[in-house]
Amino acid sequence: MGESRGGGCCPPMDLMRSETMQLVQLIVPMESAHLTVSYLGDLGLVQFKDLNSEKSPFQRTYAAQIKRCGEMARKIRFFKDQMSKAEVLPKELLEKESDIDLDDVEVKLGELEAELVEINANNDKLQRSYNELMEYKLVLQKAGEFFSSAHRSATAQQREIESEDSQQAGDDLLESPLLQEKSVDSSKQVKLGFLTGLVPREKSMVFERILFRATRGNIFIRQTVIEEPVIDPSSGEKAEKNVFIVFYSGERAKSKILKICEAFGANRYPFSEDLGKQAQMITEVSGRLSELKTTIDAGLGHRNVLLQTIGDKFELWNLKVRKEKAIYHTLNMLSLDVTKKCLVAEGWSPVFASNEIQDALQRAAVDSNSQVGSIFQVLRTKESPPTYFRTNKFTSAIQEIVDAYGVAKYQEANPGVFTIVTFPFLFAVMFGDWGHGICILLATMYLILREKKLASQKLGDIMEMAFGGRYVILMMSLFSIYTGLIYNEFFSIPYPLFAPSAYDCRDASCSEATTIGLIKVRDTYPFGLDPVWHGTRSELPFLNSLKMKMSILLGVSQMNLGIIMSYFNARFFKSSVNIWFQFIPQMIFLNSLFGYLSVLIIIKWCTGSQADLYHVMIYMFLSPTDELGENQLFPHQKTVQLVLLFLALVSVPCMLLPKPFILKKQHEARHQGQSYAPLDETDESLHVETTGGSHGHEEFEFSEIFVHQLIHTIEFVLGAVSNTASYLRLWALSLAHSELSSVFYEKVLLLAWGYNNVFILIIGILVFIFATVGVLLVMETLSAFLHALRLHWVEFQNKFYEGDGYKFAPFTFIFTANEDE
Amino acid sequence: MGFLITTLIFLVVGIIASLCVRICCNRGPSTNLLHLTLVITATICCWMMWAIVYIAQMNPLIVPILSETE
Repeated sequence: MGESRGGGCCPPMDLMRSETMQLVQLIVPMESAHLTVSYLGDLGLVQFKDLNSEKSPFQRTYAAQIKRCGEMARKIRFFKDQMSKAEVLPKELLEKESDIDLDDVEVKLGELEAELVEINANNDKLQRSYNELMEYKLVLQKAGEFFSSAHRSATAQQREIESEDSQQAGDDLLESPLLQEKSVDSSKQVKLGFLTGLVPREKSMVFERILFRATRGNIFIRQTVIEEPVIDPSSGEKAEKNVFIVFYSGERAKSKILKICEAFGANRYPFSEDLGKQAQMITEVSGRLSELKTTIDAGLGHRNVLLQTIGDKFELWNLKVRKEKAIYHTLNMLSLDVTKKCLVAEGWSPVFASNEIQDALQRAAVDSNSQVGSIFQVLRTKESPPTYFRTNKFTSAIQEIVDAYGVAKYQEANPGVFTIVTFPFLFAVMFGDWGHGICILLATMYLILREKKLASQKLGDIMEMAFGGRYVILMMSLFSIYTGLIYNEFFSIPYPLFAPSAYDCRDASCSEATTIGLIKVRDTYPFGLDPVWHGTRSELPFLNSLKMKMSILLGVSQMNLGIIMSYFNARFFKSSVNIWFQFIPQMIFLNSLFGYLSVLIIIKWCTGSQADLYHVMIYMFLSPTDELGENQLFPHQKTVQLVLLFLALVSVPCMLLPKPFILKKQHEARHQGQSYAPLDETDESLHVETTGGSHGHEEFEFSEIFVHQLIHTIEFVLGAVSNTASYLRLWALSLAHSELSSVFYEKVLLLAWGYNNVFILIIGILVFIFATVGVLLVMETLSAFLHALRLHWVEFQNKFYEGDGYKFAPFTFIFTANEDE
Repeated sequence: MGFLITTLIFLVVGIIASLCVRICCNRGPSTNLLHLTLVITATICCWMMWAIVYIAQMNPLIVPILSETE
């Protein structure tokens, strides 16, 4: 079914049906193409079709530009990284910054990147030298301590050597060669050498052991612990290290030790034994260290200044690069005209936006100084347009909920219109407690009052969802307060708010109150449930009966509404076969069975009869001609039941059989002169044939249509029973809620109150608050939300909704905060 | 009697609500129709719920039997 639609049956209503969409073709000269796409992006009302879908990304016209933008985006990411490491925040983007040229931006980005990379490299080098010098200084200090202590003990030993004590400890013996070395300089054949350095603490034992083994025990090693962790020059991180000094003899030992040091990552530093030289080295190293520090600080300062300048323009550049990338992606979707002088674009746009689009095209042509203006024309096509609903912040949440199940087919009735009210209402039927309703109302009022501030912040996932649905939750809480007043539950406590209770004792002594019960002495409690019921023994039988019947009544109403929506759809699409052979049999079937049940419920309530409705319904099917006896609710009931049963049985083949045959006849009538296809279809503008798969003649498989109709009929007939029963969840959840609430109240709060102890009372109140918030306000809310959602998605929408459309996704520059390029 | 009066009250509240909505957010005929539909739906839902609970209590078959601890 083509583009022309029905309508005019009822006055138009916002949000009921998708906006009328048209397929437009834009022919833009090359020089104004970029600006045109940019202005259309600002407008955000055109969804471009990809005319080059068979080309790979590299074959497209603007692939080089996109690569450029990709490079720039990479540089921008690099800057962002560096800025966050240095804790520089980019400046917030003001509304109207002047427009900048992409080439300028590219050049600047390149320069800044080179500079930043150079500064970073220099900084790294300097930092490394600094760390090495720090280590060297530590080595000098600690090793110096070795030698000075050795010197001290050696001079002490020297006095003892004269006593010729051979029981000297090993290290003293070894240390005295040191002293001898000092005095007897050059005539030794075996020279002891030493190496000093730093080794990581966790490897120190292994280091020592391997050295020992490698040199067959012919070394002497001393290690001292360095108290604070040292920054390792190669890794840049702090590590615990020890200073070691290794004494060895011979060249082979030296080379082994060197290799082992390298393997363990132990840095070696030169050390001279001479005390004077040591002191000199220390002062020199200290001097160099302070120099390096100032240099490094200057370098960091320079880098920060650079990052600040980047930060000033960062957001501007970021936005510009993303915009350009989006524009070039879109430009790639346009096809090049044969004469290579203009680009052709096709896209969907709403009819109401035609003027604005033409305006934008005009402005772009003028601003780009092109000689030729752009051409805007509407194409006729058989393709199905995307669905577009204009929603505001209030209705967009509900529309998203409906779209989550399926996006509406183009111009079919939108269930969202009624869902705005019925969804919070059914939620409230399951939630009904005005105390809890007030709590949720306060929470959502907070979200709504801080709307502007919270919208610009980045919230967590859950908060994001709660914030997005704030208006839905507001409605839910308002309706919950209403149903809470009707169920008369305030944290499960009833109050006689509107009038005194209708029930009272039979006599003054109230002796039978606990056996036979009270009687109704006054008028019915005017608004909601009588407060006397809470806590009585017969509360549950009464309430269960009430809530189950209420669920059935509400359910039958909503399903009838669904079928009536299908009537409006049929009228809009001018399909009388749907009206006569789908809508009417469905209405008759549903209402003669479950509508009749609803009427019986109301009659039973109004007359107070003792008839058993289960039996009435069951015997209506099993033995319809039997006498009703005490199940008689109104005169001539038997006849009425027989008629209704007959109507229901007749309506089933009415749903099943006529429609496929009528469709077949219609198809044949439509395609009688099919061989003579009109010629004027081919001289439309250039690309109509290639766009989409517009079949000239639809196939018609009779068996497929028949099976489809059979499935639809069975689904409806069986669904009538199962969907009606499904509405009983309204009863079930409301029962669960009130029972949980009364348990928390009685078994926590009242119990704590009964102890007459402040401490226990406080604990009791805390537990009550946590239980209420956690279980009732969070879990029950989610649970009732889910079930109300299911009732809408399945029981309401399967009466009329097809939901196989696709959503209008216009080209726009409104980027989400965490969009990746 | 009480039923009819309260039904009339609901009707009057519904009419007042639709008038208020028309007065304070008057934005073109199709939007007005949407607002009217929403108000009418809300009124009907609320009335239905109240009416069901009221009628169920008019001629009760079960009476409250107080529990022992009272």
